[in-house]
Amino acid sequence: MEYGKLRNYIDGEWVASQSDAVLDVDNPATGEVIAQVPLSTAEEVNRAVSAAAEAFQEWRETPPLVRARYMLRLKILLEEHFEDLARAVVKEHGKIIDEARGEIRRLIENVEVAASVPSLMMGYNAEDIAVGIDEECVLQPVGVFCCVAPFNFPAMVPFWFLPYATACGNTFIVKPSEICPVSQDRLFELLDEADFPPGVVNLVHGDKVAVDALLTHPDVAGVSFVGSTPVGKYIYSTAAAHGKRAQCQAGAKNCLVVMPDAVLDRTVAALLTSAFGTAGQRCLSGALVLAVGDVYEPLKAKLVEAASRLKIGDGLDETTQMGPVVSQKSMDRILGYIEKGVAEGAELLLDGRGIRVEGYSNGYFIGPTIFDQVKPAMAIAREEIFGPVLGIIPVADFEEALAVIKGIPYGNAASLFTSSGKWAREFKYRLPCGNIGINIGIAAPIATFPFAGMKDSFFGDLHGQGRDAIQFFTDRKVVITRWF
Amino acid sequence: MELGTFGAILRFAMELEQQAVDFYEGAVGGELEAGFGELARGSRKRLKRLERARREMVTEMILESITGLNGDDYRVDVDSKVDEAGLLRQARTLEETTACFYQDAAAKMPIREVVRLFRRLVRENEQRQTQLARLA
Repeated sequence: MEYGKLRNYIDGEWVASQSDAVLDVDNPATGEVIAQVPLSTAEEVNRAVSAAAEAFQEWRETPPLVRARYMLRLKILLEEHFEDLARAVVKEHGKIIDEARGEIRRLIENVEVAASVPSLMMGYNAEDIAVGIDEECVLQPVGVFCCVAPFNFPAMVPFWFLPYATACGNTFIVKPSEICPVSQDRLFELLDEADFPPGVVNLVHGDKVAVDALLTHPDVAGVSFVGSTPVGKYIYSTAAAHGKRAQCQAGAKNCLVVMPDAVLDRTVAALLTSAFGTAGQRCLSGALVLAVGDVYEPLKAKLVEAASRLKIGDGLDETTQMGPVVSQKSMDRILGYIEKGVAEGAELLLDGRGIRVEGYSNGYFIGPTIFDQVKPAMAIAREEIFGPVLGIIPVADFEEALAVIKGIPYGNAASLFTSSGKWAREFKYRLPCGNIGINIGIAAPIATFPFAGMKDSFFGDLHGQGRDAIQFFTDRKVVITRWF
Repeated sequence: MELGTFGAILRFAMELEQQAVDFYEGAVGGELEAGFGELARGSRKRLKRLERARREMVTEMILESITGLNGDDYRVDVDSKVDEAGLLRQARTLEETTACFYQDAAAKMPIREVVRLFRRLVRENEQRQTQLARLA
């Protein structure tokens, strides 16, 4: 086992979990066990919360400039270990190395932005709100925060939150995905090397038991979550019931609208990476192509031809263009959806079932799969598949495309491919989706912007990253002053 | 070898630069040593620049598949153990082929920062060919 049995990081120390319950962590390309992750007990979570609560007072009094220097030290360490981190992500998740490098780059971006906390956290004031009376608003840290992370961006997602929370003066607990916990383990080694004071950053592995312990603990002020919609709803409602603030990024069913005036070759390349990049397991993955009018036939032909040429394999091979899905369980679920699509009457243009990758007979591989003549009411058009399955819906015009998107319960992302500024403007103005792409297949906000989301794709008001993160991790205090 | 990804192209570019470092450093002794030493240092710097590009210019939102670029079209066999005329001939071929690769790869690459980098490397290859001409 390359990474051995993972440990928790609590109060500045690596500690073995006392729990007997462990899960194997597979490399999805090979099926080999690369680590074991403990399912920590509620008592272990409580210890982490106590350590974080204990550390809070001194940490909040640490000047923001000094806290920013921790971020700068961390950034240097992350750059030094960049390739090692990217390779760990490939081994635990299966995505291709380019995608893993992109993930680590975005992670570092968030640390860079959080290093600006001395100015990001500045308040504002006004003199003479009444004669001789001044008013100011200061931003203050809140306390202990935690995040519950997903498997699909196992390294990056906790860093949508942790750098901002800690730079603002809060303390933090990460509960990584139990499917892909390895990269967080490596990242906490770097946090340890950056020498954060004990208790400021903590890592607790586990499952629902650990999550519930965090959600119900009176000393936890807030939770950040990324994952599925049912779990997002559960976390949001449980956190609210226990008086915590919450930001829950949930599921998606993202549409890619192609207008007849789209630049077709560039569009097809963008659709491919949107639908099949990370084997369709991004929350920004394109799941449905809405082909408008005459573009339908040529687009369909080009898409199928290009998708069938994608090289499938181990993500560590630089020439691989699509890796495996994350687990046998995911693979079974995705295969079930393909069967459902066939049963529902959609036309299977490209069948990714049963593909073989030489030398990787135990890997969880599904090839690019494309359905045509998908109807909006079908399960494969409404439910999140989270795999390399793309549906094509021919639509008559732009308005019909918008109607299809509005009928989907999710509002995470949508993209339009066009040469028309008018359609682009209409699209971004009218759609109830948080992340909009214009001639961009994966509308992934950089760290200075919030990772948005609407409808069943997000529960809360303030998002991860950027200014939203600063707002989420601080309280506003207003002071009105008069001197006699 | 099909170069169908950002990473495959960058890795191939780094292999070309490493090959140049090894070739120029391998040709020790003789009148070319100083000039080749300078070219080797230049290649080492280019290699670092490419490593940095692979780490810093990876933009996931436009990490699109690339077609029509094959590494085998830009392979050059070099041998440092030949006479000076042979060394210069090989060096010219290496620089021309490398420039050709960056030119072709720039036309395929969807990330414009990398396109700029490749174009800069092409310009440098042209300057390096002038340097070689002076050594002849």
